[in-house]
Amino acid sequence: MTILGIPILTGIAFLPLAGLVLVLLIPGRRAGAIKAAANIIAGLEFLATLALLVKFDPGSAEMQFVERADWIRAFHVQYLLGIDGISLLLVLLTSLLAFLATLSSWRAITGRVKEYYVFMLLLEAGMIGVFISLDLVLFYVFWEVMLVPMYFLIGIWGGERRLYAAIKFFLYTLFGSVVMLVGILVLYFQYHTFDLMAMLQRGSVLPLALQSWVFLAFFLGFAIKVPMFPFHTWLPDAHVEAPTAGSVLLAGVLLKMGTYGFVRFSLPLFPEASRKFVPLLVALALISIVYGALVSLMQKDMKKLIAYSSVSHMGFVMLGIFTFSPMAVKGAVLQMINHGISTGALFLIVGVLYERRHTRLISEFGGLSSRLPLYAAVFLIMTLSSIGLPGLNGFIGEFMILMGAWNVNWVWAAVAASGIILGAAYMFWLYQRVMFGRLENPANQSLKDLSARELATFLPLIVLVFWIGVFPKPFLHLIDKPVEKIIRIVNPAVAPKDTLIGPGPGDGSSRPATPAEVR
Amino acid sequence: MDQASVVSGLRSFVPELSLLGTSAVSLLIHLFFRKRGRRWAGLVSLAGFLAAAALLVLGPRSTGEIFSGSLSADGFALFFKLSFLLAGVLAVLLSFRFFDVEGSEPGEVYVLMPLAIAGMMAAVASVDLVSTYVAFELFAIPSYILAGIFKKDPRSGEAGIKYFFLGTLSSGIMLLGMALIFGLTGETGYAAISGSLAAGSRIALAGMILVFAGLFFKAAMVPFHMWAPDVYEGAPTPLVVFLSTAPKAAVFAIMVRLIAVVFNRYEVEWRLIFQVIAVLTMFWGNIAALLQKSVKRLMAYSSIAQAGYIAIGLAAWGEPARQAILFYVFVYVIMNAAAFGMILFIRKGDTFGESIDDFRGLARKSPLAAASLLVVLLSLTGIPPTAGFMGKYFLFAAAVEKGMVLLAAAGAVNSVISLFYYFRIGRAIFFEDAQAGPPLDRSLGPLLVVAAAALALLVLGIFPSLLGQPAALSGLGR
Repeated sequence: MTILGIPILTGIAFLPLAGLVLVLLIPGRRAGAIKAAANIIAGLEFLATLALLVKFDPGSAEMQFVERADWIRAFHVQYLLGIDGISLLLVLLTSLLAFLATLSSWRAITGRVKEYYVFMLLLEAGMIGVFISLDLVLFYVFWEVMLVPMYFLIGIWGGERRLYAAIKFFLYTLFGSVVMLVGILVLYFQYHTFDLMAMLQRGSVLPLALQSWVFLAFFLGFAIKVPMFPFHTWLPDAHVEAPTAGSVLLAGVLLKMGTYGFVRFSLPLFPEASRKFVPLLVALALISIVYGALVSLMQKDMKKLIAYSSVSHMGFVMLGIFTFSPMAVKGAVLQMINHGISTGALFLIVGVLYERRHTRLISEFGGLSSRLPLYAAVFLIMTLSSIGLPGLNGFIGEFMILMGAWNVNWVWAAVAASGIILGAAYMFWLYQRVMFGRLENPANQSLKDLSARELATFLPLIVLVFWIGVFPKPFLHLIDKPVEKIIRIVNPAVAPKDTLIGPGPGDGSSRPATPAEVR
Repeated sequence: MDQASVVSGLRSFVPELSLLGTSAVSLLIHLFFRKRGRRWAGLVSLAGFLAAAALLVLGPRSTGEIFSGSLSADGFALFFKLSFLLAGVLAVLLSFRFFDVEGSEPGEVYVLMPLAIAGMMAAVASVDLVSTYVAFELFAIPSYILAGIFKKDPRSGEAGIKYFFLGTLSSGIMLLGMALIFGLTGETGYAAISGSLAAGSRIALAGMILVFAGLFFKAAMVPFHMWAPDVYEGAPTPLVVFLSTAPKAAVFAIMVRLIAVVFNRYEVEWRLIFQVIAVLTMFWGNIAALLQKSVKRLMAYSSIAQAGYIAIGLAAWGEPARQAILFYVFVYVIMNAAAFGMILFIRKGDTFGESIDDFRGLARKSPLAAASLLVVLLSLTGIPPTAGFMGKYFLFAAAVEKGMVLLAAAGAVNSVISLFYYFRIGRAIFFEDAQAGPPLDRSLGPLLVVAAAALALLVLGIFPSLLGQPAALSGLGR
């Protein structure tokens, strides 16, 4: 599929870069023109990714729109792009959140405007590239390229401790990545290609011992990004210090790259090692769920609270992935999208208050609902979405993950469910302290409610929250086949018939494998 | 050596001869035109470098050995020769502004540099112990003088003396090793030695270690690096661009010929030696760089660490490693030239700002300079899409191919360590206040050199085949 003669995936990967050049050409003092250009490009990019849906075949498990060219011939590195339903959803999420984040920056960013939008566009190109690359080296290049703009977004436009947070983020994630790079190289000398599809076609050829090492190398790269306990310590710092748009993309998209990496690479490339490490991964996921939630309860800073809640939510996603049951993995993929929507929105919500009051301390607020009714409504919807209220998006994902986990091991599901309860506690408590009670702080007396532009940024997210919550089928339809294909590789014991909100736990025919069978 | 072979050999030796001619012309201009002549001498040497490069690229290819088997004008040597000329060109370009600001221009620089490069070009082509040693000294002696040439700065004199004493000592050690090898085999030609050097001889092993020790010294590999930070800090900045790249590259080429031809029966031993040296050099260079406050000294340690990455390629010598080394040497020259070139950006009275603090707020003062430096720093760290990433990637791949996964991992971890100090500079440039630092130097020269280097690093990072393809074709001759 091509648009204006450009293959579409190349187009969506390089449109932000073309926009970046355009922004560079606008003189720095014309801040308005720069903002307008960046917003238009981000909007066009979103439309371009929507255009993918036109010719996309949702019933196929195969990679689509594949583009292939030699890149470094001597080392068999290819320029290889392609998407399946999983990548497509994440690409759409990325372009939407990037657009909204750009839109939300209109008034928040006053200094060094040109540089800001240059880095935003570079970041968007990197993020999209990660989700559409099927050559491991190309994937790695995008994966790393994206670190640089995020480093600058935190370091230049961040809060008080931005210098520390920026380098910490960079060092942590780079460390994980380079270890993964060594893993990629080891893989290459087993398969003699970097082409993911060719690797999967040959099947798993690595002996278990080697597979385990390479799995662990990839694990480090991905787990730091997710982030899983105990690799999460960069996250609160980076989130708290990042500007609002940075936090939105960090939580909404960057964290998904870790879980995406597990689904796309770790599971199908190292099926035996993945099964071997289930106890470790599930243990870390459960710790992340409970620990993240408990720490969230104790936060005084709204942003930090939501940051830690991400640790908890991403733990859910990891749990879902490592049950290897089709339902839970689908739930996990859907939950990636849900978390991107609700947490992205929550960071925007905090950003709105921060822009007005320049503080994020919960104790500074209280009783805002009377003064800011629109804001209160949006905040409430996103709070409910985040805790998984039935009828909203978060419920579907969490429910599918818990069902899948229950079928494998009820203890996992029980521990994870406690995370939901804690999640309701910290989110409601946050909402109560900020929005209810009497408006006592005089600084809050003159707060203005959401402007039209701000409301416009929230609107698409609110629509999605209800859409996925009420009618998730189109979304699940996209990921059905690709997920089943991955499950067939990693957990052949499970019949692939188990589909959307499938038969209950009593139905033996599609019973997911118990851990004993898995091993 | 009969007359016919000398004449046919000279034909392949034209580029070197043209450099000797350049050196002589520069010397005359420098002597007879006094003040003004110094700049002219510089321009002559610049033209000489470009002419030599053109002669190399366009001239007749001979893959055979010349001068009765003492030199081999193969593609491998050609690749290195071009990298020396590149280093020379960049150093001379940066010299002009540097000596302008400093107010004194030692014209001998432009005489010595072509001479040194001629020596290096002979050294990388040498396939005989005698010619290797002679060529080695031919570039070593001018480098000592270059380091100490700047009389205005007492640090330069100290650097020259230090470099000279330790350098001659290392040459002596290397010569001793060569003597042992010669004593064992009675041969000086590499191929001949390889034929008669038996495996498992302790004397041969001792000879090999001594030769390598001398060479490690010259390449500033840990633990033979002590002189390097002081010399790089003391020598005039544009000459450091030359001294920290070209002689090292020449030494790497010599080492490659030694391991690939002479000591092929001692493969286990030299692989082990290079693994140890690579790990020590990377870690030491990077960790020591963490503690530096002066950009010049920081980059001195960084250049040590960068050479450690190349040693990975030597440890993993083989077909992929050969290409990786050639690629990285070239990129190393460009990165280092830019890294030291950045020191000519900030003006402090009649000298240049060298401390990290002097670079505060550069992004506001000159976005082009800041953007170029960002690319250079990313490349030095090894982050895509830059040539530094591709180079490291090729080197690590070569190591993994030989089963040295831990060595590759050590290299990868080092690139994370280096991020920390490279981005202390990045932080000063981008994150800190513009009002804080001293003003920008108004000359465009160094800025253009660094910007061109950055562009080259970016292009080679995105299209590595531009350099990788020629590297793949530049094999060792027989």
